[in-house]
Amino acid sequence: MSLLEIDGLTIRYGGITALNGISIAVTEGETVLLVGANGAGKSSTINAIIGLVPAAGGRIVFDGKDLATVPCERRARLGIGFAPEGRRVFPRLSVTDNVLSGAFGLGRAHQKQALDWLCSVFPLLIERAKQPAGQLSGGQQQMVAIARAMCSFPRLLLLDEPFLGLAPVWIQQISAAIAQMKQRGTTVLMTEQMARPALKLATRGYVMRGGEVRRSGTVAEIREIALADEYL
Amino acid sequence: MHQFLEAAIIGVGLGAQYALLALGFTLIFGILGVVNFAHGGFYMLGGYVAYTCVAGLGLAYPLAVVVAMLATAALGWLFELLLIEPLIDDHLATLMLSLGLYLIISTVVLAIFGPISMEFAFPVTGSFHAGSVYLPRENLIVLAVCLVAIACLWLVLFRTDLGRALRALADDRAVGMAQGLRPRLLFPLAFALATGLAGLTGALVTPILSLAPGVGEPVLATSFLTVILGGLGSLGGAALAAFIVGLVEAYTSVYFGGSIGALVLFVMVLLLLVFRPTGLLGRDVRGA
Ligand SMILES: Nc1ncnc2c1ncn2[C@@H]1O[C@H](COP(=O)(O)OP(=O)(O)O)[C@@H](O)[C@H]1O
Ligand SMILES: [Mg+2]
Repeated sequence: MSLLEIDGLTIRYGGITALNGISIAVTEGETVLLVGANGAGKSSTINAIIGLVPAAGGRIVFDGKDLATVPCERRARLGIGFAPEGRRVFPRLSVTDNVLSGAFGLGRAHQKQALDWLCSVFPLLIERAKQPAGQLSGGQQQMVAIARAMCSFPRLLLLDEPFLGLAPVWIQQISAAIAQMKQRGTTVLMTEQMARPALKLATRGYVMRGGEVRRSGTVAEIREIALADEYL
Repeated sequence: MHQFLEAAIIGVGLGAQYALLALGFTLIFGILGVVNFAHGGFYMLGGYVAYTCVAGLGLAYPLAVVVAMLATAALGWLFELLLIEPLIDDHLATLMLSLGLYLIISTVVLAIFGPISMEFAFPVTGSFHAGSVYLPRENLIVLAVCLVAIACLWLVLFRTDLGRALRALADDRAVGMAQGLRPRLLFPLAFALATGLAGLTGALVTPILSLAPGVGEPVLATSFLTVILGGLGSLGGAALAAFIVGLVEAYTSVYFGGSIGALVLFVMVLLLLVFRPTGLLGRDVRGA
């Protein structure tokens, strides 16, 4: 059974249809990539899963539970971690506070365990612990955003364009960190416009365009399509 | 020289009171995005609850202060949960609601206690001498309690899960919710924290100043002024500005007397808004 099953999801912003009945399934342990140009509907999909935008039609089922009646602020506790497009760290909160805000109410023992592990993945979290996250560089902020999303040890990690605007050195470090999340057994659903670095992490993918899923397939198949469509 | 020192202590005492009020005011604005026009009402209510506990129920004054703080916190919690929360994103509606609550509190107080000021005296009198410096004991006690309250607020905001969650929601509510932070649980608590502090201040200060309907209005005005001076939504700025306002009021009244203090403060705020529109410690909150 799928950990996440999206069936005929439609999203509208006013009169604009951003997603037109897409269906996506993610099995436990997979890393699935949504690839597509700007405006394809990748963020709309991710934001609908976490509940930031309402679905105009279709179903989102997580771990056998229909999310239609679950408000955004309760979805994280079902086991969904979310690192939004553009990182959106809490700018005035310290790096440590940013990370721990992803584990509200889970108790000191969990918080300590999670923070220790995340600090081993991202040494930055120790070096910059007390610094306001708004002062960090883009790559550093992305690390904080991923650590924040992982702090509750979610079963599904949503990463919306984690490499956007980052230099290769940061892409490499963040790829390595995502690989560690996968090793922990975390299922990952990520988006990218530029498929190359993300394809190294993914097991499967979907190509999106104009609010629809055009193709889906293995990494090799997606690579072919992406090459042809110049996503690489 | 002793006049200078006395004014300093009085100013710091006023500053601590203003800080408790302005911190609550800015907490509600910074986290919920709500301008709480009822803030002065909670201050006044704190005074009347403490007065009723002492004069009506015969409670000891310190206990009455605690009851006043809890009662105003409870009212703030209920008000946020039942009335503000459903309309939280409608700025005009929440503004009208808080203004309405202020009018209700004023009217109820007027109906029960009448328009005259109450005989409500601070239980400790006398003064403390150090050389030629002469300081009323009541002011020193109020100052101590206010400073402890400010320290407690700081601990809650910067050393607990609740405080971290509230600051996160203040920075980015949507992303905070997506991390599992629940405004419906947390916002009423933030509101209660702020109104409880206003009630505490009222219970402490009205016996020294006066307790009558209408004492809340200057409190609201000072909170506004302090928060603008400090920078909207900035806790550190609000605290700093509160002590500046307190000291300016104390020194102008000692050396120039009367109401020149208010004039000086308005000129200060005016100049600040011209040269540094974000306030002392305010900043562009869009972040990086
Ligand atoms: N908040 C919004 N209001 C109106 N239109 C939006 C909004 N967000 C996205 N859109 C539109 O929806 C479509 C899909 O956008 P998005 O999901 O952000 O795509 P992607 O993440 O693949 O770039 C685009 O045409 C975009 O202009
Ligand atoms: Mg996007």
